[in-house]
Amino acid sequence: MKELLTPKKLIFRVVSGLLVLLAVMLVCSLIGAESISLKAVFNGPGTQAANPDYQIFVEFRLPRIILACLVGAALACSGVVFQALLRNPLADPYILGISSGAGLGAIIAVICGFNWTVWGRSPIAVFAFAGALGTVWLVWFIGRMAGRFHVTGLLLAGVVVNAFFSAVIMFLTSIAKSQQVYSTIFWLMGNMTEEDFLVLWIGSSCVIGGIIALFYISPQLNALSFGEEEARSMGVNIAGTQIIAFAIAAAITAVAVSLSGLIGFVGLLVPHAVRLVFGPDHRQLLPLSGIVGAIFLVIADTVARIIIAPAQLPVGVVTAILGGPFFLVLLVKYSRKVSWLK
Amino acid sequence: MSVIIDVKNLSFGYTPQKTILKDISFEIKEGTFVGIAGPNGVGKSTLLNLLCGALKPKSGTIKIDAIPIESYNWKTLAGKVAVVRQEFVPVFGFSVIETVLMARTPYFGTFGFENKRDKQIVNEALEATDTAQFASRGLGSLSGGERQRVFIARALAANSPVLLLDEPTSFLDLKHQVGIYDLLKNAQLEKGKTIVAITHDINMASQYCDEILLLGANSNYQIGQTKDVFSPEQIEKVFGVRTFVVSLGREKFFIPLGKFAKDRGQITDKHI
Repeated sequence: MKELLTPKKLIFRVVSGLLVLLAVMLVCSLIGAESISLKAVFNGPGTQAANPDYQIFVEFRLPRIILACLVGAALACSGVVFQALLRNPLADPYILGISSGAGLGAIIAVICGFNWTVWGRSPIAVFAFAGALGTVWLVWFIGRMAGRFHVTGLLLAGVVVNAFFSAVIMFLTSIAKSQQVYSTIFWLMGNMTEEDFLVLWIGSSCVIGGIIALFYISPQLNALSFGEEEARSMGVNIAGTQIIAFAIAAAITAVAVSLSGLIGFVGLLVPHAVRLVFGPDHRQLLPLSGIVGAIFLVIADTVARIIIAPAQLPVGVVTAILGGPFFLVLLVKYSRKVSWLK
Repeated sequence: MSVIIDVKNLSFGYTPQKTILKDISFEIKEGTFVGIAGPNGVGKSTLLNLLCGALKPKSGTIKIDAIPIESYNWKTLAGKVAVVRQEFVPVFGFSVIETVLMARTPYFGTFGFENKRDKQIVNEALEATDTAQFASRGLGSLSGGERQRVFIARALAANSPVLLLDEPTSFLDLKHQVGIYDLLKNAQLEKGKTIVAITHDINMASQYCDEILLLGANSNYQIGQTKDVFSPEQIEKVFGVRTFVVSLGREKFFIPLGKFAKDRGQITDKHI
């Protein structure tokens, strides 16, 4: 008989995953346009002369790598949740209009030319965050109006709102000045920058807190994969589970999007890759997807930093180019294990 | 035997204008096997959804174990009533044992895992349904009959006194139909479960069910001992189909006679 997932096994896998993540972070922090040595970093900031290795490590590499972890984990986990709630393998964190809402917020901020900051965040990030949350709320509301809680209604509302807001984005882009257009497009492609530690601190508490809360409802997500009525007759409080899961997944996606723009593929590919290898049990799928998402984005961002150095690629381009073929290999190799392909 | 399901003056409609079930009352005693039969569209599945709390009655009351159904929360109700619906396979490939284990979800600890007792209940359910042999296989790789047994195993793992089933044997071949009914009868006789199953198969129902709720159009219904409810006259009245009855020992078999049955007049005249 197949071994069931046990708490011991889960803890072992999560801890091993975290160790791999730390190793990847360490290696990636030493790679870059300017190569630095770990030994020099450990010498500290330097008392008389400044220590450039330490400065590069602490001020540039570390914040960026932490940001990549944060965004990767948030997108992957929210992808898992949206796929479970919508019972749709094509769902990703952006499916309910978060991407277009954030994009619209960003372009409005660019066109209006605001130049204030909140907690060191530019108006683009603040508007993108508000746009993302506002749009999810709107889609949720329309979906509810369409029926008590019909997955199809919600999906259609998401697709239509996405299309409508994309049209508005196109319109605004075509009337904007070229410099403004450039910075918007760069943002839409998804981009990592060096953030200060306060932003990272707030962002990671939101994301880690959200993932822990989602882990607590993961058995309910398992039951929900069989449909609402089935889950209900299994004794699951479906309305509560759905609202909590949606709210948290939308919130951590909005945080990720406002920090780094629209990075595609992570939220779609990572959950599927983890599911192909480890199976569909959400108690395991959720934490492992978070870790794998973080690892994947740290590596992708390192590639984005170095491949055309000293210039940089938007990381969204790298995730798609790296992720697509990698996923196809996994799909062919493990497809016999999964039933939705049959 | 005490009454476990008590329905009084139950009415329900999906829209305010049209009622589908009107003023239905019946009692089901603990440990009986009840079949719900009737033509399509008279509200059999609706009745089942009312009995498991998925729908709320427009008027009337449903009591499970002497407590009104609306006083239960989802968790306590799942501990009383388990449901097997017409099969649905989720998009993501859960294995048989993972599926059956989900019936224990409301009882998981804070860390979200099952305890020894949960595992024992699940193993018993797998043994009882003869599904332990393919416990690690994915749901998608099973045949229809095997999968139906898995869903019955999940309902058994809920450890509830009542089992509701919506056409558990549709789409199954002869062998598997009999297999499912044997399995349900076993659960009734050995574990004392109360079983309420919607069925279109009058002959299986008359062999296995203690009581029949025959639901006709406009909420004309009759409930009673199987041998009293199933008569050629009743069946013709409710389904609009003439039947030929064969008695064999204590069993009765109903053979429908179509318009083009050979010697239709002769058979009916002589034998009914």
